[in-house]
Amino acid sequence: MNIKLNAPVSTAIAIGVGIIVLAGYFIPSIESIRFIFLRTGLVLAAVALLVGIINLISVHLKKIGGENENSGYSLILLISLLVTLVIGIIDMVQNYLFGQPNFQMTNWVFTNIQLPIETSLLAVTAVSLIYAAASILRKKMDLFSIIFFFVLLLILLGSFSIPPSTIPFLSVIRVWILRVPALGGARGLLLGVALGTITTGIRILMGTDRPYGG
Amino acid sequence: MSATGFTGIVVIVLFVGLMIFFTIISKDRKSANFRPISGYKKISEEINVAVEDGSQLHISLGRGGISGPDAAAGLAGLSLLKQVIEKSSMCDYPPVASTGNPVLSILAQDTIRGTSKAISVAEKHTNPYGELVGVTPFSYAVGTLTTIRDDNVSANVYTGWFGNEVIWLTTAGERQSSPTIAGTAQLPAQAIMYASASDPLIGEELYAGGAYLGGGKMHLASISAQDVIRWIIIFIIMGSVLLNLIGINTFIEDILAGSL
Repeated sequence: MNIKLNAPVSTAIAIGVGIIVLAGYFIPSIESIRFIFLRTGLVLAAVALLVGIINLISVHLKKIGGENENSGYSLILLISLLVTLVIGIIDMVQNYLFGQPNFQMTNWVFTNIQLPIETSLLAVTAVSLIYAAASILRKKMDLFSIIFFFVLLLILLGSFSIPPSTIPFLSVIRVWILRVPALGGARGLLLGVALGTITTGIRILMGTDRPYGG
Repeated sequence: MSATGFTGIVVIVLFVGLMIFFTIISKDRKSANFRPISGYKKISEEINVAVEDGSQLHISLGRGGISGPDAAAGLAGLSLLKQVIEKSSMCDYPPVASTGNPVLSILAQDTIRGTSKAISVAEKHTNPYGELVGVTPFSYAVGTLTTIRDDNVSANVYTGWFGNEVIWLTTAGERQSSPTIAGTAQLPAQAIMYASASDPLIGEELYAGGAYLGGGKMHLASISAQDVIRWIIIFIIMGSVLLNLIGINTFIEDILAGSL
């Protein structure tokens, strides 16, 4: 007889730990147990990063091997990962064995490569956001899209801080929109998100949703 | 126990009670009467398209972890991934998933593998992609672009925790002329998705994937429970306004502070 115990055991452990962690928020006497579970979870999450990187490498090795038009990007990614890893290891050795200043080469990589690239991407994001806002009426010509577009326009016009282009009346409208309808709407959305979050959590605690292979 | 802690327990017990109650009284899925959500209708349509033309869906689960306020969004994404795999068992290729968080990546792989096994999808068709694309917002967004531009991807579903970088993903889907269904728990990203996605999921719609895509009775019951609690919240807000108007303006605060 072939009885598979993996699923029931993992489900029982997940539900049990989940209930204890949740109860720890409300019952002070089991708060210490909650912290033990959370700390263990954080350590496991750190290990998961290592597993994730191995997964990343294996996925991109497959992409290089196949007839994929994006295989060049995969190759660049793997070379960059390897170079950064080697630099990090050299820095660690220099730091711990020879007492040299903290991670100079790694800092150089982040300051001169990672930071400029991410800053450029942020700039492109700003342009993309303006493009999306401008093209909303082309994509969805309904009442809500029209309201979205014109409210956005009012907020932008009311936000000008250069003296010649400052329009006092628009500034007042902007403040009112942000403080009354926008804040009310945001609270309504957050309430909905909170309700959804609670039901998702309860479904997992009850074992209806099992995102852990159970 | 503080008044806030007591309120929390009451809310959770109320939710659990309501969900069990609605599970018991509900008869079947057909009798469920929910408002239509275009995003989930589109996902069902795109699964049919994928079955017919041999393409696959791309599900991006965002970069939220499982230990913070971003956890529920990621877990809701995993639930949706499971439903999509179950519904697309006839597809030549199972959905491809991408994440920006290592824990979520492992859970996504486990969901794909476990669900494919449960519905007896042949091993050779099981594609355990739950790829960790990048761990920073922009590396995640840029890495996901190659999957979106894959000719075999017919539609993109973004459900999870995203920031402003989601604009890259939604506009890339638009350029590929593929439908984009997007939902997140973060408010600024919701506004971006509304402007740029073809079918945005607003607010709690993100968490309703299971109920709309053929999940069990508990999924349907959780939607009904949310509706009941929402009405209770509306009555509390309206009651507070009325109490405020007649001059008793600290009644609710006193209850929450435990000073009554």
